[in-house]
Amino acid sequence: MIVPSEGVVNFCNWLQNTPYALAIAGSTWAYPFVQTTHFTGLSIWLGTSLAVDFRLLGWLGKTQKPSELAKSLFVWNWIGFTIAVIGGVSLFSTDAVAFARNPAVQFKLLLFFPLALIVHIFVQRRTMRSWGAGDVIPRSAKLAGLAEFLLWLSVASAAANIPYFERFL
Amino acid sequence: MPFWQWLENTSWARFADDNLRVATGFEIVHYFSMFLLVGSIVMIDLRLMGLVARRRTIGEVSSEFFPLMWIGMALNFFSGFVMFAGDATTFAPNWVFHIKLSVILLAVIFGVIVQFQARKWGKDECTPIPKWGKALALISLLLWVGSILAAVEVPSLTNVG
Repeated sequence: MIVPSEGVVNFCNWLQNTPYALAIAGSTWAYPFVQTTHFTGLSIWLGTSLAVDFRLLGWLGKTQKPSELAKSLFVWNWIGFTIAVIGGVSLFSTDAVAFARNPAVQFKLLLFFPLALIVHIFVQRRTMRSWGAGDVIPRSAKLAGLAEFLLWLSVASAAANIPYFERFL
Repeated sequence: MPFWQWLENTSWARFADDNLRVATGFEIVHYFSMFLLVGSIVMIDLRLMGLVARRRTIGEVSSEFFPLMWIGMALNFFSGFVMFAGDATTFAPNWVFHIKLSVILLAVIFGVIVQFQARKWGKDECTPIPKWGKALALISLLLWVGSILAAVEVPSLTNVG
């Protein structure tokens, strides 16, 4: 567990006391709606990302080339990402200090999420440009697709562990 | 209640519920498969509504996303049932949980209708999708988002789960 610096704690303290965060935290209905926004965004984001990964791995329908699939899903992929981030930041803001101290949140936001995002951008760009254009999918593309899938699974694993670290909250 | 008690006390339900790592494992599968399931059906619904992958036919989009949707649904229902079994006497009488299951049942029914119609429309790409087809896709999309909302309301309103 990383002990957050005073600056981070001060920022989180300010964040969780903003009227926006207080309104979400103090309402019976707002919190589940924000959670639903986060999960819906994640569904669109991961559904479209994994479709390309599985296509690269040869696990999904072969009617389209991976490059065509990646291009057609590109816009909604990032729409899903934006919705998920807005929902995620809103959820985080409701109890920011405690979340900043939670080891599962730290693993998720400081390790797995940035790694998964970098690999995702790399896989998406390469698939749209070169990997997915030919008839044969290179082995490096399959490995990258598998790596991205496993990294998103790690993000989800860290997220599922957040409640189990409540003793740090 | 005796049935739910029996289910809750079966050896596999106790193993899955009492072992923290196993319980977390089922939770991860449940969440991840939900993203696959909802993400896939949302893409098909958006295609039927003409909002995504317009250059690609409904047949092509369907052939890529329906397998993903059914794999997601199978994993989601299996992990969900194991998680339910471990705490069956608490979940079974919960009114928000009943709403959640009802919305999911409706969403599955609409999902099956969408798949049936998408196959039909996918065969003849010259025929435009009728307005009721787009309305059907919109209802399906809203039902899946509603099922997520109902799911997060179970712990929020009743402190169960």
